Amino acid sequence: MIVVLLIIHALLAVTLLGAITHQAISVWLPLRKTPGSFVGRVRAVPAASYVNAVVILYVVTATLGAIIYPEYRLSVRVVLQQLSLNVPNGLFELKEHFVAVGLGMLPAYWYFWRQPLTNDYLRTRAILTSILAFIVWWSFLVGHILNNIRGFEA
Amino acid sequence: MNVSRSFPVFAIVFAVVYAVMYVIAVEKNYALFTYHPALEEFGFLVEKPREGPAMYWYGWMATSGIVALAAGLLACSIPERAKQRLWSGWSWTIPLAVMFVFGYLLRGYFLR
Repeated sequence: MIVVLLIIHALLAVTLLGAITHQAISVWLPLRKTPGSFVGRVRAVPAASYVNAVVILYVVTATLGAIIYPEYRLSVRVVLQQLSLNVPNGLFELKEHFVAVGLGMLPAYWYFWRQPLTNDYLRTRAILTSILAFIVWWSFLVGHILNNIRGFEA
Repeated sequence: MNVSRSFPVFAIVFAVVYAVMYVIAVEKNYALFTYHPALEEFGFLVEKPREGPAMYWYGWMATSGIVALAAGLLACSIPERAKQRLWSGWSWTIPLAVMFVFGYLLRGYFLR
């Protein structure tokens, strides 16, 4: 059951990663003219259209992570400590705190992306999106590294 | 109280208070509840580990969420002039600073 939840958690994280990355790229490197290339199309996505999806995916992915977290504490963290793998352990500690801090930023993120967008909040929108993108990337990579260390059904 | 006008104030105050309260809750261990994963049991407030580790993360978030919610709702009642002067950048500067604080607090994992 835990493995199934872990895979669903990972799939949701990939979806969230795609959404927030698209949005962050389109915020920092917007393309005004008609895109002709793959990179151009990535830059030209309507950033505001991702907001609700990002909020929902963030909450659902974090909730699922919270559900499988006890298994990590019982089966994985102990192994990391026994093997003195301090860096991966610390990376995960940072992940849990970053995710928690990100949850508190979601109402502001949602509000400042609310339509119609005003130029007053341009920088706030861009930085909130970037911080959330960093948290999501950090969480995804750390989760992936720890999963590789522990192995499947090890 | 106009909800739509007050929401930016609520959102900014929530982001700030939540981040600050979260780091205080972690440092001082102000968990609203404790989870004992080995026993699959919850306990009110901070409890010592019983048969395995105790998890406080959920409790820290609950404490921070409740305090931030109260602060955000309270901030909605401040005068309109004060609301308009509230800088939207607080919603990211304080959480970002808290992330750096965690990097500092957990430096022991990376320097050993």
